[in-house]
Amino acid sequence: MKESSIKINSSSTLTLWVDLYSDKLYSWAYHKTSSKEMAEDLVQETFLAAVQSFEKFEEKSNPSTWLFSILNHKINDYYRSSFRLPTVNESNIVDRFFDETNTWKQEERPHEWDLTSDNLLDDVNFLAVLDYCLKNLPDSWNSAVRLKFLEEKKGEIICQELGISTTNLWQIVHRAKLQLRKCLEINWFTN
Amino acid sequence: MNFLMLSCKKASELIDKRLIVNLSFYEKIRLRMHTSMCDACNAYEKQSSLMDEALHHHISKSDKNKVPTLHNESLKKKIKSNLK
Repeated sequence: MKESSIKINSSSTLTLWVDLYSDKLYSWAYHKTSSKEMAEDLVQETFLAAVQSFEKFEEKSNPSTWLFSILNHKINDYYRSSFRLPTVNESNIVDRFFDETNTWKQEERPHEWDLTSDNLLDDVNFLAVLDYCLKNLPDSWNSAVRLKFLEEKKGEIICQELGISTTNLWQIVHRAKLQLRKCLEINWFTN
Repeated sequence: MNFLMLSCKKASELIDKRLIVNLSFYEKIRLRMHTSMCDACNAYEKQSSLMDEALHHHISKSDKNKVPTLHNESLKKKIKSNLK
């Protein structure tokens, strides 16, 4: 008897929470993953997890905070699980930028960017280009970069979570940034 | 002198490496020497830290209340039917 009354209670509460919070959770998940399908899956998983651990939820805490903390865990899990060690092909990307003497190729040499526009980092158009460029990275690089910046974890902790060496990690981040730089230059700084 | 000289490829590696691990004293000196003489790597160094700042701002620091709200009614229906 008692068990069924808890169940009714939890499902009506959760239905209310879906109405109140699912749009915000979905928007956040979309912001973090840039994928509608992934964002929908993550929010569904969040509510499933919320049903399962509903008894652990304490009335005194804020439902929104609780749901967001579940979602943030799910987002991290997603990037951890989508990570795989890059293939040889992806490692060769560095050679596109340097000649046989390991000097920048003439057409790849970085030149100073024009940073005269104010508040670049709050410019939605710039952030859209940044998202586009992140999406264009190989999946594993995108995951490594996002994990690095999602929680600002120390390099060693990310490496433990991904089961790779720190050398692997900085090489991946380096390759990702070479490519990101090129993409930003083409799509933003030359306009 | 040669043992102090880095290639651009190596210098750009060190620029990004120090985001993850601390550089040795020797690596730091060699990088400083290289960027002081190489305009391209000097520009890369600035662009690398701008990218860090942008990624930090965009990925880690963003505030959930400032993200534009998207409405997704079909998702709501889907979740509710799973809850039943």
